[in-house]
Amino acid sequence: MSAQAHKTDGTEALLEIRQLEKRFSLSGDFLDQLRFKGGKLVRHQEHVHAINGVTLEINRGEALCVVGESGCGKSTVARIVMGLLSPSAGEIHYGGTRIDNLSSRQLLPFRRRMQMIFQNPYASLNPRMTIQQTLEEPLRLHNPDWNRQQIVEQVEQVMASVGIDPDWGKRFGHEFSGGQRQRIAIARALAVDPEFIVADEPISALDVSIQAQVLNLLMDAQHERNLTYLFITHDLAVVEHFGTRVAVMYLGTVCEIADTATLFANPRHPYTQALLSAIPRLDDDGPQHIRLEGEVPTPVNLPSGCVFHGRCPYANARCKQEVPVLQTQDDGIRVACHAVEEGRL
Amino acid sequence: MTDSSHTSSTNTPSAGTSSASAAALPALPGRWERFRDSYLLYSFKRDVIAQLSLLVFIALVAIAAFAPWLSPMNPYDLAQIDILSSELPPFWIDGSDPAYLLGTDAQGRDMLSTILYGARVSLIIGFGAVALQAVIGVSFGLMAGYLGGRVDAFLMRLADIQLSFSTLMVAIIVGALVKAIFGSATFSTYAVPLLVVIIGLAEWPQYARTVRASVLAERSKEYVDAARVMGLRSKRIMFRHVLPNTLSPIFVISTVQIANAIISEAALSFLGLGMPETHPSLGSLIKAGFDYIQSGSWWITLIPGAVLVILVLSINLLGDWLRDVMNPRLYKG
Amino acid sequence: MALLEVNHLDVHFALRKGDVHALRDINFTLERGERLGIVGESGAGKSVAAFALLNLIAKPGFIAGGEVNFEGKTLNTMSERRLRKVRGNRISMIFQDPMMTLNPVLSIGEQMIECLKAHRRITSKRARAIALDKLHQVQIPSPETRLAQYPHELSGGMRQRVIIAIALLLDPDIIIADEPTTALDVTIQAEIMALLLNLCEQHNVGLILITHDLGVVSQVTQRMLVMYAGRVIEQGPTREIINDPQHPYTQGLINALPQMATPGEQLNQIPGSMPSLDNLPSGCAFHPRCGFVERADGTTRRACIDEVPGFVTSGNCQAACHMVAEMVDDRRLKEESL
Repeated sequence: MSAQAHKTDGTEALLEIRQLEKRFSLSGDFLDQLRFKGGKLVRHQEHVHAINGVTLEINRGEALCVVGESGCGKSTVARIVMGLLSPSAGEIHYGGTRIDNLSSRQLLPFRRRMQMIFQNPYASLNPRMTIQQTLEEPLRLHNPDWNRQQIVEQVEQVMASVGIDPDWGKRFGHEFSGGQRQRIAIARALAVDPEFIVADEPISALDVSIQAQVLNLLMDAQHERNLTYLFITHDLAVVEHFGTRVAVMYLGTVCEIADTATLFANPRHPYTQALLSAIPRLDDDGPQHIRLEGEVPTPVNLPSGCVFHGRCPYANARCKQEVPVLQTQDDGIRVACHAVEEGRL
Repeated sequence: MTDSSHTSSTNTPSAGTSSASAAALPALPGRWERFRDSYLLYSFKRDVIAQLSLLVFIALVAIAAFAPWLSPMNPYDLAQIDILSSELPPFWIDGSDPAYLLGTDAQGRDMLSTILYGARVSLIIGFGAVALQAVIGVSFGLMAGYLGGRVDAFLMRLADIQLSFSTLMVAIIVGALVKAIFGSATFSTYAVPLLVVIIGLAEWPQYARTVRASVLAERSKEYVDAARVMGLRSKRIMFRHVLPNTLSPIFVISTVQIANAIISEAALSFLGLGMPETHPSLGSLIKAGFDYIQSGSWWITLIPGAVLVILVLSINLLGDWLRDVMNPRLYKG
Repeated sequence: MALLEVNHLDVHFALRKGDVHALRDINFTLERGERLGIVGESGAGKSVAAFALLNLIAKPGFIAGGEVNFEGKTLNTMSERRLRKVRGNRISMIFQDPMMTLNPVLSIGEQMIECLKAHRRITSKRARAIALDKLHQVQIPSPETRLAQYPHELSGGMRQRVIIAIALLLDPDIIIADEPTTALDVTIQAEIMALLLNLCEQHNVGLILITHDLGVVSQVTQRMLVMYAGRVIEQGPTREIINDPQHPYTQGLINALPQMATPGEQLNQIPGSMPSLDNLPSGCAFHPRCGFVERADGTTRRACIDEVPGFVTSGNCQAACHMVAEMVDDRRLKEESL
């Protein structure tokens, strides 16, 4: 029986990600990997290092937002947590039990407690199923002993709670707008009464005014059902509004984790600072962001040492060689940065 | 107060998580209305060629299906054949007999009747073979596309091997084997199912590849992820979620495949590897009458030939129209 | 006379159910070197407006009325041959997805030189020199190597820089940028927008920026238009509209941003969603979602439901709103009575 992680104030962690690593092979199958090099037959393997040692914990009742730009691995983390991908190394623990190595049969009870909302509302509903069928399916699977009446009632209930007209049941996904589809997707996730929801950029594909509606819906659901969220996004304005804690990722590593208010008031990691300054604000007169040198390096050949050192204005020799670890600062922020550790920042 | 004929149910801003205007959707259409308004019907009504082809195709299928009742006489009933009325020309030529509308062949069989029965055989083999191809091809394609990895590699190599054997070769091998082991008579008796199997086996890779491509595209869509996250098993996801969404390409290639199957069978019969003369298809009829072109009785070979061409042409034209209709459109029609 | 004038532009799409009016009565101008933003959500018609300027709307869409005048000449009635001299040359366009805009089988150099030679009689050598110069201007590192590279070898941000370079090749008078940074990361977006702003200022090139991102618009543009369901509903200097929006939709759009709400509280949302263009409400297209159809004293503004609002000037801004019209009238009456 594995020990549950506790924060210093005693709240227990619902989800723990320990030293997670994920590599994707670019080399194809065995035959494709064989190459001739210097007269000999060699096996050549290339990997995308999507995640390189991520450790996070999410406490019950909170909304942890993971932010980063494309290629940072945040979506991959979400998929591994939900069991869509298996880790190359590291462990995922849910409610104290390790879940990344379970068979699909063993995982089934967990699936009821953990649900996911996806980014693309146009692809997350099966075009050939009616809304009613879409919402009933998870219920039938997880409650095999329920009769038809119970299922229909539960579906009606969850539809009402997300603001969906019961009439919509007979329609198909393509008859609805992006915002409406996302509501339906949320209803599907909430139908089985989960306690933990992974939301992978749930509002990025929606219009601004609809984003507000859907975000409000997610917040309501959190308060009513005491949900815990792992919220993946690239939109820092949403994070500032919605998140309890924030983790900033860059090229597969976590740069900084902190309470939302603390992070926005006083970002420590140079990447976080650059990211925050890049958000266009309404009261800006002109672009006022911190300029970063160079482009995002490829995750195929990771830079040595700190993955950010190539673009960091504060990098020194140590940054090129040694990978920084997350260290807790006085105000509770955890930062992985040599400059912060050495007091240079 | 304010009207809300086709607009949202609330008028005030910040009304919490108000419903995303249920009234904004028009009344729920029934199945028939959906079909009536669909792009399929719209496009069909505007395409004269598609309408003609469908008409011709349905007509041919209908008369072939009802051949035993429609044909003036039974061409396989030896009692009805009169050798004296052999090689009579069709009705629009001098010297014809009104009892035999399209003339007679070398044995005195009524051409109209033989063509009706022949078309029937051709169509049965055509549809049967395609059904077999589809069943094998779709299941293999589905498994290969969804399960990936070794299963995919194995099934696709199997398809490659199958493709390297042409239909002709498979027919020769199977035909020779059956005749050698069981004798010609058995081959003749079981010719129809044997041909269905031969053509079915020769062409399943077409379906497999098409379905596999479709499945690969669908598999990366998020509703499949949603089904996995829910805890559904692979088999259920494959058949209940992915398969229904890969049906369009299956319909499109089916028309081509039916046409191909009919022609393949005709070719095999023409070469003597298919239906025997005692139970002929259109192809064997063409073969049987081939020798008589020189002696002037062209109708024995050409009329079955014409029927074959019209049948296959109508199927191909329908297939063309279907392909255009099912093409993803850049704008909503 | 302004450099670009759009007068009463109407664009329709001939669908089998009938004609759908994608754009209705669009009017705006652009002076030389001016930066204009066109803001709206999806379905409002902003991309259609951009394409209409260069008569690039594909069937079944067509320009049903009005005109687009560039330096006094009407673009939408011009022959294709004359219009080609304007496209890419005097008015160029940048699209949203850089991977789609660049031809994957041609190298960057080939595409740039091809563009130059299509409009000017110059040698390949001279074209290459111009291309290199433009790549320098968009701050691409080692431009000589880039010329030989293919689009897939460059990152998203680099590709968008290349596209800006191509847009600048012929020293156009106007650049139309249709959501140029939506597909890019936030830090790259900041770089690209800063670059675009810089170049436009330096070379006195006009910019029409189409986007849904109010933050970007406020940073880069001098004037802006807000579109809703195919019409312009508010226009004026960017700063003034953002600080004090008149039209309820613009107000709602700004208030709906997370930046404007208290953390942890509900966001201010606009109920409902934009109507589809073939099923528009009567009168003002926004009225079903608008909180101001009812006055403070409980009476209803019938005009909102019955009449399409015309433009009313309030300060430097213009809004198409009956409520604003009433406010302006009230103010005028008060001033006259004083």
